[in-house]
Amino acid sequence: MISTMYQLGTLDSAKAFLASLLVGIAFGFFLERAGFGSSRRLTGVFYFKDMAVIKVMFTAVITAALGLTCCIVLGWVTIEGIYLMPTVYGAYVVGGLIFGVGFVMGGWCPGTAAAGAASGKMDALIFLLGAVIGSALFNEMFALIKPLYEWGQGGVVFIYDTLGMSKGTFNIILSVAAVLMFWGCEWIERRRTGQSLGENASILKTLSVAVLTLAVVLVAVGAGRPSGEQPMGQAGGVISSESQLLEAIDMAQDHIEPEDLADRMLRRESGLIVVDIRPVIEYMDYHLPNALNIPMKDLHQTLMPYRNVGTIVLYSNGMTHPVQARDSLYRSGYTNAYILTDGLNGFIERCLTPVSLRDEIVPLEIAAKIRAWRSFFLGSEAPPQAEPATPSEPLPSSLLVDVQWLEKQLNRPDIRILDLRSQPEYSTSHIQNSLALNVENLRTNINGVGSMLQPGDMLAGYMSAMGIRPTDTVVILYGDKTQDATLAGIALERLGHASYRILNGGFAAWKSAGKPIVTDLPEIAASNYAVTKSDMFSVDYMTVLEYVRSKKGIILDVRPAEYYEGAKSNEARAGHIPGAINRPYTEDLVNVDDIPQLKPVEELARAYARLIPSENSTVVVYCRTGHQASQTFFVLKRLLGYKNILWFDAGWSQWAARQELPIE
Amino acid sequence: MTKIKYTNPYLAGIGLGLTLLLSFLILGAGLGASSGLARIAACTELYIAKAHTLSSEYFGKWGQNPMRYYLVFMLVGIFIGGLCSALLANRMELQVERGRRSSVRLRSAFALIGGVLVGFASRLANGCTSGQALSGTALLLTGSFVFLICIFVGGYATAGLFRRQWND
Repeated sequence: MISTMYQLGTLDSAKAFLASLLVGIAFGFFLERAGFGSSRRLTGVFYFKDMAVIKVMFTAVITAALGLTCCIVLGWVTIEGIYLMPTVYGAYVVGGLIFGVGFVMGGWCPGTAAAGAASGKMDALIFLLGAVIGSALFNEMFALIKPLYEWGQGGVVFIYDTLGMSKGTFNIILSVAAVLMFWGCEWIERRRTGQSLGENASILKTLSVAVLTLAVVLVAVGAGRPSGEQPMGQAGGVISSESQLLEAIDMAQDHIEPEDLADRMLRRESGLIVVDIRPVIEYMDYHLPNALNIPMKDLHQTLMPYRNVGTIVLYSNGMTHPVQARDSLYRSGYTNAYILTDGLNGFIERCLTPVSLRDEIVPLEIAAKIRAWRSFFLGSEAPPQAEPATPSEPLPSSLLVDVQWLEKQLNRPDIRILDLRSQPEYSTSHIQNSLALNVENLRTNINGVGSMLQPGDMLAGYMSAMGIRPTDTVVILYGDKTQDATLAGIALERLGHASYRILNGGFAAWKSAGKPIVTDLPEIAASNYAVTKSDMFSVDYMTVLEYVRSKKGIILDVRPAEYYEGAKSNEARAGHIPGAINRPYTEDLVNVDDIPQLKPVEELARAYARLIPSENSTVVVYCRTGHQASQTFFVLKRLLGYKNILWFDAGWSQWAARQELPIE
Repeated sequence: MTKIKYTNPYLAGIGLGLTLLLSFLILGAGLGASSGLARIAACTELYIAKAHTLSSEYFGKWGQNPMRYYLVFMLVGIFIGGLCSALLANRMELQVERGRRSSVRLRSAFALIGGVLVGFASRLANGCTSGQALSGTALLLTGSFVFLICIFVGGYATAGLFRRQWND
């Protein structure tokens, strides 16, 4: 049995790049040999002058299709080992039509143009340039095209299932069609040129007989082995019956063992998507590094881009919910969703229990693995003796912490303190090992809006430079603006880094409590912070506009009242988004010794209960630049537990400047 | 030196088919060309406007190093393979291929616009003649057959409009 690189998840390795280069060389060689380095010959097919395109293409398709079926029947490879593209009917129809026009107009397609350019065809080079421009154009227009791009999604579906026949029957029909097409092409060319088949005749006859014989033999072999067709249908096809689903479960194709997952996460396997479906509170206490927290009801929508791309692993504490979620995904055509055997509890027990606490005798190499897992998943390898089996000392469930708590954590290696005060303030006195950070450095200009939170990978770059690891708990200290702390918090949220805490009262609280301060700088080793795409709370103005029109959510304007009312303005227009409610962010604060602190949670809960009907209500928060709104976001989502809080980062400065958007 | 004749189309087709089969067995994925071009586009955009590209929904997900992708290497391979074959067959010749009565300008304009359409359509359909029409149909995927049929419909429907570039 061959394990393909796709199956092993090593398509991004140097070995795969070399193999791709070699396959490409053979591909380019045969394209040029076939005469496809000539646009004239390629387009000849559209004018019935030169039918080589059809001859070569269908010979190649039938060779590969029958060849692959042979390999599957012989048990060399399974269809699971091959990447199968999901069908998107609408997008493919429109794409095909546009492609056809481009092909006949430009005289090339991408592969042949590369081979053509290599043989000196300048028109091929121009065509390639055009194709690069076309790709960029697609990217730029993506927001507009997305509905078309996703129009008519059918999942991975095979043509023989669509036509309601067996794979063998379809192979025979395809073979007969190919042979008829070959002879038809010869007939067209002969009529045009008047030349006889010549040497082609014997080759074509041999090919015809070989193709038809092979197709029939494959059906006979398949019929002789009743299970011969099954790997195809069950692994890749749309799940047409519940029995196939149950069979996949019976064959244990639906789960992944904790040790296997631990190894794959440890080597940072690309394409591995680990999904934590527990409530956010539990997720924040502990989760596997870089796991996405997705509520069950949002799984289909959020995981759509990963359908049959990479490997999705679902986990909860136990097994029940992941099993149900995974089956639901499987029914929708996800063939790459797995559950973690024994859940997070099992993972901790099987992978993270120190060797010294295990009843059984652990072989040396396993012990080494356990140490590696512990250091990766728990942040640091603690002395093995008295370590409990739980991942780490439980953190307080509230994200708002006080000085006493922070003081107790100072010596923990997985605690990182971010000090957001100005550079001189930091340099003259700060907490031991705390890192200075100017919160404005987390923002940049995106699409012309100057105050946007940076994309995940840029933020991950900062984290790496500061030596912060995904497993660390980050404690944020502010100077005189609580919203600085929440902006840093929302940056961490974009990275899927849920384990952070904000010191209520900021550095001033620490100082006035008389706790130790230093002036030396911390010793930091850079980390390698991996990017996660877990930001599902940021929305753009188009989304906000939809909420304005549908009136299905609440829009909270957190700016001071005079800006909301339009009495004051420092943006393109004065006023607010239609339908927005004003709740200034300062209402959530109380000054203690001139330093703002967040009000007690109970008080905040009472205030917001009057504005927001239920914890499931969708609320869009915005201010001028996203800064103040990050505080309201933190209050609603992290302190009060509202589930659907969206953050309109670009805020009033963009809304006001886009004259086409309505205002009040 | 005389140019060597093109290989018999059926034999070349078998060669291509075996290459594709090899790609399935080793890589676990079919052939592809347009992805490589899209990666070049993403790389160029990154060079011009990094944050904009990284924040864009489509190219953004390829990260900061879009060129680290197997199909980019395959595209380079196609070029090398084509070069080897052309040199061995004495077919290497700098030219803008066109009909004798057609101008270089017209042919170039058609090639450029055709390229834009093909580049765009390949992204829309997640592949081109290599990834969808060849590899996908060999895997018997419904979408690939739909795409292939639509290419020919689109091509034959408009072939007349672009014929003048081949006029002799």
